[in-house]
Parts: sequence; structure tokens; C-alpha cells
Amino acid sequence: MKKLIIAGKEFTSRLFIGTGKYSSNKIMAQSIEASATEMVTVALRRVDIQNPQDNMLAAIDRKKYLLLPNTSGARNADEALRLARLARAATDINWLKLEVTPDPYYLLPDPIETLKAAEILVKEGFVVLPYINADPVLAKKLQDIGTATVMPLAAPIGSNQGLKTKAAIEIIIAQATIPVVVDAGLGMPSHAAEAMEMGADAVLINTAIATANDPIKMAEAFKKAVQAGREAFEAGSASVKNHADASSPLTGFLRD
Amino acid sequence: MAILKINGENKIFEKVPSTMKALLEFLNVDDATVVAEVNGQIIPRGSFHNTILQDGHNVELIRFVGGG
Repeated sequence: MKKLIIAGKEFTSRLFIGTGKYSSNKIMAQSIEASATEMVTVALRRVDIQNPQDNMLAAIDRKKYLLLPNTSGARNADEALRLARLARAATDINWLKLEVTPDPYYLLPDPIETLKAAEILVKEGFVVLPYINADPVLAKKLQDIGTATVMPLAAPIGSNQGLKTKAAIEIIIAQATIPVVVDAGLGMPSHAAEAMEMGADAVLINTAIATANDPIKMAEAFKKAVQAGREAFEAGSASVKNHADASSPLTGFLRD
Repeated sequence: MAILKINGENKIFEKVPSTMKALLEFLNVDDATVVAEVNGQIIPRGSFHNTILQDGHNVELIRFVGGG
């Protein structure tokens, strides 16, 4: 498998993992390990003053996994900027999953606020990985202002619906000069494999693993699917035909 | 008596902890895991000990949680 390079950093794994919704930090850590990922997303929230010892970060081996803080909860560009700067202050890393979702029911990303925030964050030196709807025009604009990737959604966050936006993502991939990471909505390993087969550079999975009956096994399944899909893409698929094309010779039949 | 607004809620103190570091100790929060704002300004992690807190300050204490 060819290595993935984002902002000069090499990744062997093309599967990124979200850390939300796990039943325990232990299951989360084991799932991360089983996935063989090299980058995990995290969110920023207020410290629970009643329960100040809760620290999920302790369960993540920072030497093995790059942290990708997100701006989840931001409803506009200003809130995203604040979270981005807090994340950088907290970790000294400048990688950021930029997400701006004004509406909590569908959690669809706001394209205007995302573009506005991305422009500022790129200028401030952030490595910006924006979560976007599968909009090829927006993807191109983000690429032009210098984001490190684009991360179009397959379906609404946590919906597990699969690649509902396939045709638009194909266009995004066709015109991208930066990695395309399919983020959100992939519910099964087959969905991830499909995204990789069509040339996505990576996928980001959270709910499908974290809320599976056996998250660790599901993490392993996604690892295999992403590998298989990528290898198939690199291999180049055989052509689709409207008729049969015999696999066995059409000569030497045992008949007169 | 003095008040600090901490994560959106007013907290009344006999005497306000003198620094951010003292506040975190008072609240039993590990300072290695948090990022803080005072009146909207981010406090660099190395500066908790010399960030002076006063009556009426608005403090935000933030940390990483699981997320996608």
C-alpha cells in the first residue's frame, strides 16, 4: 500500500478513528490499537468540576497516535476559532479537524462559516482538515486556500447510512490535489472499502466502531476493509460489461 | 467573599485562590490535562502559576474528551 502523506506527515494506515461514544476508555484504547490507526480525533469540552479526575487522554498513547482535535460544538466560525486556539494551547499541536455544525439534528457542516474559519486558521499556521458536505466547489475552494485535506461526509454524522454522497465525492476526488478523507456516516466495513476503492485517500470512523456490539472486533474489520479497498484501488479495477466474458477458454470443448 | 465564574457558574469563595494553579489545586483538577481561559484570554500552560485571579474573573477550564 502506498503511504498517505498529509501536510508532510506520512501515514501507513489510512483509517482514522474518532474517540467518542465508547463504553469505557479501556475499550476505546483497545479498539484504537486493533484498528492500527495512527491518528485519532478528540473533542474539547468544559471540565466537569464535580468529576475533575476524568481524563480520557491518559488512555491514548501519544507516541503512537497523533491527536486530531476537533471543533465539534462550534456553530459558527468564531466558535470554531476559539476551540482551535484552545486545542493548540492544550496540546502544542497545530493539526485540527475543523467542523462547524449549526444544526444539531442533522449536524450538517456550514460551508460558509467553515471556509471563513479555514482561511483564518491556515494563516495562523494550523494544519486544517475541514469536515464538509460533499460539495466539489467548496472542496476546491478549501484546497485553494491551503487546507491539508478535505473531509466530505458520506452521510450525516453517526447515521451509519453509508456512501450516500458517492457521486459528489467522486468529483471531489477527481479534482483534488490534497488528500480526500471520507468522514461521517460510514456504518460498515463494506462502506469504507467502497470509499477506498473509488480513490478516497482515507476514511474516518467513530460511531460504527464505538457502538458496535464488539468494538474491538469491528475496529479490526474496518482495518481490513480499508486496506482491501485501497489495494483494490491501487490494483486498478477490471472493466464492467453488459454481457458475459468467459473466464474459461471457448475452445477445446468435449463435443463435435 | 468573592466570586469567580467558573465554566459558566458563579462560585463563591471566602478568598479567591490567588493564581490559576491554586484554583486548579483547590478544585482537584490535574493541571497537565486542562487548558484555561480567563476573561476570554487563553492562558499558556506554563503560566498557570503566575496567572493572578481576582474577584469577578470569568474562568473557563477545558479538556479533551472523546469525540469524532
